[in-house]
Amino acid sequence: MTLFSIARKNIKRNFYNYFLYFASMIFSIVIFFTFVSLQYNDQIVKATTMKVDGAFKAASVALIIFVSIFIWYSNAFFTRKRKKEVGLYSLLGVKKKQIGLMLFYENFVMGILALVIGVILGALLSKFFVMLLMKLVGAAAVDVHFMISGKAIIETVIVFAIVILITSFEGYRLIYRFKLIELFQAEKKGESTPKASIFAAIFAVILIGFGYWLALDMSLGIWSNFLFTVFLILAAVVIGTYLFFRSLSVYLLKLSKKNKRYYYNGINIIGTSQLLYRIRGNARVLTVIAILSAVTLCAFGTSYSLYYTNKKSVETQYPFSFAYISQGPALDHKVNEILDQAKDHKVTNTVSVPALKFEADLPDMDNPPSQYFMDLRRVTLMPQSEFNKLAGELGIDDKIHLKGNHAIALDNEYNANYSPKYKGEHAIIHSKPNKATLEFIGFKEFNLLNREVGGLTVVVNDQLFNQLSKANPVANIKEINVTNAADAGQLSNKLADILPEKAKFSDFYKAYKGAMSASGIMIFMGAFLGLVFVLATGSIIYFKQLTEATADKDRYDILRKIGVSNKEIKGSIAKQILFIFALPLILGILHSAFALASLSKLLGQNIVIPVLISMGVYTLIYIIYYFLTVNSYDKIVKAKKRI
Amino acid sequence: MKVMLEAGNVKKVYGQKGHIYTALKDINLEIKEGEFVGIMGPSGSGKTTLLNILSTIDQATSGSIRIDGNDIGKMKEEQLTSFRREKLGFIFQDYNLLDTLTIEENIVLPLALSKVKAKEIDRRVKEIAGKFGIEDILSKFPYQVSGGQKQRAAASRAIIANPSLIFADEPTGALDSKSATALLQSLSQLNVKDHATIMMVTHDAFAASFCSRVLFIKDGVIFTELVKGETSRQEYFQKILDVLSALGGGKGDLI
Repeated sequence: MTLFSIARKNIKRNFYNYFLYFASMIFSIVIFFTFVSLQYNDQIVKATTMKVDGAFKAASVALIIFVSIFIWYSNAFFTRKRKKEVGLYSLLGVKKKQIGLMLFYENFVMGILALVIGVILGALLSKFFVMLLMKLVGAAAVDVHFMISGKAIIETVIVFAIVILITSFEGYRLIYRFKLIELFQAEKKGESTPKASIFAAIFAVILIGFGYWLALDMSLGIWSNFLFTVFLILAAVVIGTYLFFRSLSVYLLKLSKKNKRYYYNGINIIGTSQLLYRIRGNARVLTVIAILSAVTLCAFGTSYSLYYTNKKSVETQYPFSFAYISQGPALDHKVNEILDQAKDHKVTNTVSVPALKFEADLPDMDNPPSQYFMDLRRVTLMPQSEFNKLAGELGIDDKIHLKGNHAIALDNEYNANYSPKYKGEHAIIHSKPNKATLEFIGFKEFNLLNREVGGLTVVVNDQLFNQLSKANPVANIKEINVTNAADAGQLSNKLADILPEKAKFSDFYKAYKGAMSASGIMIFMGAFLGLVFVLATGSIIYFKQLTEATADKDRYDILRKIGVSNKEIKGSIAKQILFIFALPLILGILHSAFALASLSKLLGQNIVIPVLISMGVYTLIYIIYYFLTVNSYDKIVKAKKRI
Repeated sequence: MKVMLEAGNVKKVYGQKGHIYTALKDINLEIKEGEFVGIMGPSGSGKTTLLNILSTIDQATSGSIRIDGNDIGKMKEEQLTSFRREKLGFIFQDYNLLDTLTIEENIVLPLALSKVKAKEIDRRVKEIAGKFGIEDILSKFPYQVSGGQKQRAAASRAIIANPSLIFADEPTGALDSKSATALLQSLSQLNVKDHATIMMVTHDAFAASFCSRVLFIKDGVIFTELVKGETSRQEYFQKILDVLSALGGGKGDLI
């Protein structure tokens, strides 16, 4: 019987034990392969700009790191379960080298098997997976034909071959790393409690603060080397987090231990001591969870923010599904006919707005709004009575009352940093017979006319409008709202076909799809990484809980024997796990808040709402994880017989 | 004298149809307050099963058990839990100390669970540690102390809440003779001075000779009993050995 065949038999016999490890390896490989395939997808390569390409590379590096940590973690979990078995071999007189080789083979065989299965599964599932994700993020505009890429296979094989070799070598070293006695009584001794050093705590806070400062400052462009800065931020925050947990958790626990009134109160004594018992391991896990939470939140937050701001800006630029400048009743009639025929889209709103278009000078503005240039240096005047009526119809609670030549600009692309301040600034319109001057007294951050027809819209009082309309042609702007405007592609094409160029046909659909396909890949990537990291956080917690629950079972059996009720035990477990869950969540949210604040600066956009929504969603998922963990832990601990 | 424990027609059957194994056939016994009762018998005679059932850790198939006037057969799980905590103390062969707690914390556990005030806890732990001579190791963890010290810590934990009845399952089983003697002397002291009621399962005749009465079981029934009375410990030890050899188990099985 060769060593290799013993290893093979071991795998066969302990399949259940191996299964978790095996499954997590396959999971990692499938994820990685799917992502890399996407990166080498011809269409995406064509569609991606330089920026997205960089993001892809950064994301795949992040994935490699994550996947290695994840496999290393599962491997550690798995070898711990086998320490006793290894000890037994040694006791029975198998040479250390042989045991080492056997473990190496085992790991290696499993790794190669996982790699083969993972790539096959990845090839089969990734198309489905990608389509599902696309649907999920609503990025249907990114139409990806999936194909298996040779490059992706090669890259996956290389990355995982290295990871597998390293873990196999770790397996080989297992027998050399521990004394026989240690293999037999794994988990018996408590970890020596690190000292709650105040210096470590301060140093941790300084490191994290430094990371935050860099993140916020980076957006100001002080640090020219982007990648290096990112690396520095990551290193500072990760190390800081670890030190923070190590010192803070010890400090908190020791404090609660000192307070005998709390400590000697019912089951508290159990929970606190359990946490202190595994303090080093806990600090590591807390760090990993905090970092993963932060990464997940950043991925979710970034993608959702882009999605949100894109959607929002399209929505403000296009308050109506369709708009055009009327070219006479005959054409209007045709348009209405087409609208009536559309089955999937019901007209919910039709308005007709009189407007005057003038070439104009904006002498006071250093940086006139882009709509002005887009409309060939023209402004669109609309009377205030129309504004008030339309605003009422769209449910906007806003009324305008102007005097004389006062005017209000409707600038839906307003940005506090770049836009003109309007108030007190002037517009000189080239009206007939004489030029006229309007004085802005303010602006609104929305428009009631679609971008192409409205340009820079200016509201004036009715008297002035009527006066100007005597000598100048009044355009009649038609605006229509329909249901499901985001899917109204066909309808939009039909309308575009019959309307001439000068009608300046403007539709929400085209703008929406354009914005979505531009940010679609980013959104997709963010959602993809976010999903992976949420799953990873869940699995790491799951592994930890499984290991500890099994190790702690005896302890809870003793407690039950000396008279602790099941309810009290569950309460204690819930408290312990809350400690493990709550601390990293708080820090993870804080980390991501700074990262996203930096992003917000880079984008020059306010993303508070999407970020808060992402955090809310993540916290919700996290809370679900928490209750699941408490329940499974409790179940394992209460199980009558060991499996 | 008050009857502390009363068992009537206790029967315990393991397994399901076809594979039935009767561990206890029909046990009747009574333990009075202040008694130190030993239970002896060869391996597989059912002594540990009996202890588990009497101490509410396991349930009897049929029969009634009353401890300090309470019918434990009628109690629900939650009630049993608090009953164990308040009325019973346990000493196990493998100590069953929590390795996450220091010796002191292990000892105070029952009081902490019953939410006794921290000051009172401190007072009691000092008193009891003195009794068992383990004041020096209170701040150590179980893996840092010897087996004898662990067992004395376990005994301290068993008595700290002033239980009505102390159950000891082979308490000397894992100890060397010196530690075993020290522990047995402590238990005996506890019985004589503090009138603690103790029931101890053992297969060691030497340990049993510290008891005031020894019950012998064989094949699930009580075979006989031996009362110490006024005899010396040495004589009593000899008598126990005689009964054991009459019981039939080889001597090698007994020590």
